[in-house]
Amino acid sequence: MSTQFVQAVWGGILFGSVYGLMALGLTLVWGAVRLLNLAHGAIFVVGSYVAFFVVSKLNLPILVALPIGVLAAAAFAYLMHLIFIRPVIGKPGFDNSTLIATVGISIAVSAAAILIFNPEYKVIPPIISGNFTLSDVQITKQGLLVIGTSLALFALVYLFLTYTRRGMAIRAVSQQQEAASLMAIPVVRTYGMVIAISGALAGLAGVLLSPFFFLNPNSGFNPMIQALIVTIFGGLGSVRGALVAGFVLGIFESFVEVYYGVAWAQPGVFLLIILMLIVRPNGLFGIGEVRRL
Amino acid sequence: MLEVKGLVAGYAGSEVLHGIDLEVNEGEGVIVLGPNGHGKSTLLRAVTGLLSPRAGQVLLDGKDITRWRPDAIAAAGLVHIPQGDLLFPEMTVTENLLMGAYHGPTWSERSARLGRVYELFPWLKERGGQLARTLSGGERRMLALGRGLMSKAKLLLIDEPSLGLAPLTTQQIYASIHKVKESGLSLLIADENANHVAGLADRVYLLETGSLVRQGPADELLRDKALLESYLG
Repeated sequence: MSTQFVQAVWGGILFGSVYGLMALGLTLVWGAVRLLNLAHGAIFVVGSYVAFFVVSKLNLPILVALPIGVLAAAAFAYLMHLIFIRPVIGKPGFDNSTLIATVGISIAVSAAAILIFNPEYKVIPPIISGNFTLSDVQITKQGLLVIGTSLALFALVYLFLTYTRRGMAIRAVSQQQEAASLMAIPVVRTYGMVIAISGALAGLAGVLLSPFFFLNPNSGFNPMIQALIVTIFGGLGSVRGALVAGFVLGIFESFVEVYYGVAWAQPGVFLLIILMLIVRPNGLFGIGEVRRL
Repeated sequence: MLEVKGLVAGYAGSEVLHGIDLEVNEGEGVIVLGPNGHGKSTLLRAVTGLLSPRAGQVLLDGKDITRWRPDAIAAAGLVHIPQGDLLFPEMTVTENLLMGAYHGPTWSERSARLGRVYELFPWLKERGGQLARTLSGGERRMLALGRGLMSKAKLLLIDEPSLGLAPLTTQQIYASIHKVKESGLSLLIADENANHVAGLADRVYLLETGSLVRQGPADELLRDKALLESYLG
């Protein structure tokens, strides 16, 4: 196998699982709460900085910092739900007010990160260091960990939604909110739970990815935009769509990058998406408003 | 068990119910009869918290539940089977039923209830794995009824059990509601057809333009053909 090909495949699978991991949280929240959470990148950043703080200021190992970062991100997302989302649930203007609130939270988080830390790039150590080469391509062990984690989380979320009482309740709420409340399912509390789970996923992505991209106050922005694209490509609210679209776009982007150069990667992805949306306006697995989790 | 006092409710700009007084006792079958558009659904929605009343009180076993959220009212035992069934379309028949027993029981208790519902509607068991959105109108209604029965209801509120169904299916639906009544569950049924509910009713209320105009024992009221004719048309 040529080095180029292996490089493209490896990069594609790695990108794909990263995109999928970020998109999973976005698509869950959209599917269940009908909330377009533009603070998803900010939650990613909160998780990363908390982990950075634990590692560099408290001098604890990254394996301790990881769960703390994830919990902090989940708690931050839940707090966002309590203060900004819950008060407007079921009110007219929910879409607009939550859109503005989540953008506002993003701006506030990056400003806070600059004030508390500083705008310089930070380094979070990988969970596993080291790498090996395959056809002259460097495969990092952290990269393999990211791929494995992402796939495992998709499986976990799928099993949770399909077989557990609370997971089924999330689907029930997303499909027919009024009936769910008549079945004694606490709708608002279920929303809070979904938002916290999504926050934990974003925080985990933040801690695992920062060794690749470095950490700065805006480092959640690009992953969030990519995740948004993946979510739209896969069909808003579809978990399967997020998984498939993450890998399709990741691998496509990586091949374009390796064979035609970095400059073509983003335009190539957008071209692919535009073509796909002409054929399937609701995304790969979306069937409009009807399709829920 | 259920007491409604001076209930006033409506939607933006228009008052639909103008002070309703109604009660349902333990084990009783109570029917609210009225033509379409006179507030039957609004009454059930206001009782189970889907619509917040403007005035009046709803009491369950003496406890004021007027401002409770729908999920809390359902958990307290008032289980509402709404018009249009409102199934979970992308969930299977079995999953829909299990959601009916969301509150309270353990998984073994849930499967015991599932067994009882399957006894009542053997058909639901055969179709267990089918998605709810692929069912026909009559099948949906049975599933909605079965899902309501999965809960630990004290009182089942059913909105127009036969709305939009073919005559044969209508018969099946009322036959199964009969069995439910015999099991001792209290019922509050909103309907527009006196013949359908004749065997189910202990007491009847007549609802007209948002007010209860008559009430009485079923044998008395439902036998008065002249009254029903003038009233339901």
